[in-house]
Amino acid sequence: MNNEKQEYLLLFRGGNNWYKDLSPEELQQVMGKIKTWFDGLAEKGLVKGGQPLVAEGRIVSGKDGRTISDGPFAESKETIGGYTLILADNIDEAVKIAQGCPPLYFGGSVEVRPVAEECPMMAHAREVLGEKQLVGAGA
Amino acid sequence: MTTEAPPSGDVSQVVEHLFRHESGKMVATLTRIFGVEHLTLAEDVVQEALARALQTWPFYGVPQNPSAWIMRASRNLALDVVRREKVFRDKEDAIIHQMKGSGAGVETPIFAAEEIADDRLRMMFICCHPLVPAEARVALTLKTLCGFSVKEISRAFLTTEAATAKQLTRAKQKIREERIPFEIPAGEDLTRRLDSVLQSLYLLFNEGYKASSGDRLVRADICHEAIYLTQLLAEHPATRQPRTHALLALMLLNSARLPARVDGEGNLLLLQDQDRTRWDRQLITRGILHLAQSASGDELTEYHVQAGIAACHCAAPDYASTDWAQILSYYDRLAQFDDSPVVALNRAVAVANLRGPAAGIEAVSAISTAAKLKDYHLYYAVLGEFELRLDHPKAAAAHFQKALELTDLKSERTFLEGKLKACTPR
Repeated sequence: MNNEKQEYLLLFRGGNNWYKDLSPEELQQVMGKIKTWFDGLAEKGLVKGGQPLVAEGRIVSGKDGRTISDGPFAESKETIGGYTLILADNIDEAVKIAQGCPPLYFGGSVEVRPVAEECPMMAHAREVLGEKQLVGAGA
Repeated sequence: MTTEAPPSGDVSQVVEHLFRHESGKMVATLTRIFGVEHLTLAEDVVQEALARALQTWPFYGVPQNPSAWIMRASRNLALDVVRREKVFRDKEDAIIHQMKGSGAGVETPIFAAEEIADDRLRMMFICCHPLVPAEARVALTLKTLCGFSVKEISRAFLTTEAATAKQLTRAKQKIREERIPFEIPAGEDLTRRLDSVLQSLYLLFNEGYKASSGDRLVRADICHEAIYLTQLLAEHPATRQPRTHALLALMLLNSARLPARVDGEGNLLLLQDQDRTRWDRQLITRGILHLAQSASGDELTEYHVQAGIAACHCAAPDYASTDWAQILSYYDRLAQFDDSPVVALNRAVAVANLRGPAAGIEAVSAISTAAKLKDYHLYYAVLGEFELRLDHPKAAAAHFQKALELTDLKSERTFLEGKLKACTPR
């Protein structure tokens, strides 16, 4: 199917701030544009998944994971408002897709990250253990 | 995040202006619940609820009842705010109780339609309260009830965003300071307060209708919003009075002509040059119906007279068969309500059409307050037109030249330049 295509993760940043100054009318128009953009990609079979993210959440940190801080992250310009996993021939192609994302026009930004073909940790394990032993583990 | 209801529709099928009107409803209802001093907070909550719709509907589909969805999202966010903000500590329980609603299925609206209708009226009475500065009433109405952004309001009124924002802040401050109650006034008070609301909506409509400023699309939008809000007043038992119907009739009949007012290139067209088949028949019918409803009781307002004038124009199949005698009698009436030189100038146009351009010029020179018109480009445009009809091209050209010096608007300049050309002999 899309054998030659690679996966790219689009992270929508600027999160929940870009729409603050838009009127309800403008929000409704942008909603239509987002839908058109997303459907266009889906029709071409370029979407592997994606979801919006709720602003509130928790941050888990500390060595034992016991430091749990609350969101909201809504204040931050770096907040991730959602993600989409897409398929593209190369990074330029993926960037081109990201450039069509409507919230860009209102100060949002999109981070484009190639999904590594193989998890580096798995690659390391493979080197150490040899390929065959990992097949059964679902690699 | 999962959707609460099985999605049904496509985003593109969402009703036009849905967000704008749901926003007006929810801001009004939340303002009642939070207290009018927390109006801005109500606006923020609703904005967030709409943003949630924007973030989920394109991906998961539009819920079966979008309006109920927005209501529920607003309610849930409002509950979060009430629990979080210290200012609500004392009334937290009462507010939460008020917002619990029926708890029925997700497709059931949490707030009853009548309740929302009342809240929007209360909001109109707040925004257009006589204690709120007159020029701020229109801006505040657009912001809270029609969901216009500060940017859109300043674009419509040709002012800066900072100036609009300041005006809104001051108006809200005034409402807080004066502790203006969030209610539909009754008895004697109702008459006075309704007048203030109607007058503000009239100004709102005029702001959209006048050709001399701002972005054309925004202006048409403003006309529609003024009609929408006046319609709400005309439907509500407390406010459906003859003058409310008269105002609504005047708006409908005038906006029916909007599509024909400019040609394909956006140039202004005079009444005599308009393609009358482009007038909106449906709006005219609605206008005539409300004009009929306005003709009860013994009150005759300025709105009645202006609606009467608009009806005369709409009823004429072409310019030549316009009932100018009737229109002139309306202008005579109107002059009794309003001694403004602009009304007198419009009356002169009716005089000219009835008795000829010389009589028109005579009527213009009889305007006692004409000095106020010396910087008004239409004053010269009207005189130029009369002189041109009298076949005095030289005098006409001088007037059109003067008019040109007084307007920067492209569509009007193009129009006047055309007139000026008509004055030079070929």
